[in-house]
Amino acid sequence: MIKVKNLIKKFGKRTVLNDISFDVNDGETLAIVGFSGSGKSTILKIICGLLDFNSGSIETSDGEIAMVFQYSALFDSLNVFDNIIFALQERKELRKKYSKKDFKNIVEEKLKLVGLTGIENKFPSELSGGMQKRVSFARAIVTNPKTILYDEPTAGLDPISSTLIEDYIVRLKEETHSSSIVVTHQMSTIMRTADKVLMIYNGKCVFKGTPKEMYENGNEYTKQFITASLDGPMKMLTE
Amino acid sequence: MELVKEYIKKSTTYKILKIFSRLLDDFLSTVGSITIQLFSSLKFIIKGQIDWKEVVKQSNRFGVSSLPITISIVSMTSIIVAMQVAGEMVKQGGGNYVGMLVALLTIRETGIIMSGFAIISMIGSSLASEIATMRVTEQIDAIRVLNVDPIRYLFVPRIIAGTLMMPPVLIVSSAFGILGGAVASTIVSELSYKAYFSSVWSGLYIYDIKVAIAKAFVYGFTIALISCTCGYFAKGGAKGVGQATTKAVVWSFVTIVIWDLIFSIAFFF
Repeated sequence: MIKVKNLIKKFGKRTVLNDISFDVNDGETLAIVGFSGSGKSTILKIICGLLDFNSGSIETSDGEIAMVFQYSALFDSLNVFDNIIFALQERKELRKKYSKKDFKNIVEEKLKLVGLTGIENKFPSELSGGMQKRVSFARAIVTNPKTILYDEPTAGLDPISSTLIEDYIVRLKEETHSSSIVVTHQMSTIMRTADKVLMIYNGKCVFKGTPKEMYENGNEYTKQFITASLDGPMKMLTE
Repeated sequence: MELVKEYIKKSTTYKILKIFSRLLDDFLSTVGSITIQLFSSLKFIIKGQIDWKEVVKQSNRFGVSSLPITISIVSMTSIIVAMQVAGEMVKQGGGNYVGMLVALLTIRETGIIMSGFAIISMIGSSLASEIATMRVTEQIDAIRVLNVDPIRYLFVPRIIAGTLMMPPVLIVSSAFGILGGAVASTIVSELSYKAYFSSVWSGLYIYDIKVAIAKAFVYGFTIALISCTCGYFAKGGAKGVGQATTKAVVWSFVTIVIWDLIFSIAFFF
């Protein structure tokens, strides 16, 4: 469960998020959409504690919060195996729980979950963008998180890899029953993965509803977003 | 009033003061960042939260991989000093002091300062760019999201490795420096090895070696701390990585020269 109420975030004098509120229940996925620079990723960074906020409140289920970064953010100097068990190895309370054999089993299990096998000894630079993304999924879920945040999970991927990633998002939600937030620009990702949609423009929420509502009877903002039109209430931030 | 403000803003004095204020701001924020990271790192070291496997890995980087360059630089400096002074000293009847002069200079000054410069250029810059790249590619954010403290994971092993490996690097490179001085003196002035080495201990004391080792500990600690800090606070993309690396090198150079001055005043005056 994620409950965000009246969230306000300012960078200097600029208000990036202005009174944002939403709920995500257990087993639900919320898609956050909007222009580049509209503050979508900032919401994720605030929820997982990477950024402070000025006012409002955030509540999440007890347990781990995981985040899948836009460009995977795998550790270059570590191979896939060490990337996946990083948290288990580096955190004393988790390290005590597992043996070396457990580590091996966990890595195999998580890689299998994202459709990869036999790449444990490879380094991130030896993997394709799609594979890196899937390894970063495996790394994110290694601590069995209750909340999973995806920052543009399909950015830079071909349509087939994107579909694969979208399938994993749905599968992870079903298997872990976690609350998820997906920041995306892609309608396919919204339609395939999300239960709810939140649209942000100029730091404010301009639409809340289901993907179906967004597609069939949204407002002028959602229509402009779906049709990728230059005409509409949303203007490029440079204007 | 507005006109006065406009006039002041256009004046050269205002522009110069603005540049100085920006430099001062950067200086103070860097000193602040280094101090904060110093205490955060010490907290983990005192608590014993040290990843020794990573320390060994980083020690290999600090000690073993830097050794060929530090040995070359310190040896060449000693050879140059010996070549410059040995001939003249022998002519003036001071042949018995050539070994002492080269050894004293190498142990007290050139060995440690040249090793420091070599380590900064090779290892400090590489630490800063590595951590800066991790910052701009969100790897440090990933570490934090996985609930691992980046200071414990990134700073502590590198600082310990730098502190522990600098003295052995200094000892080995200085030994090669003194040896190089002997070879150069013999070639340039036909001074015998026996005369050279018998004069080494006439002016060099264990005290000098102890001070040099103490300096090495401090330099190693300083270089690792500054390099990690500059990398950690990198901003932007490739340009930010470059700026962080340059900053790490410049700050490390200046700081170890300041340390050198402090050591000279404290132990030799």
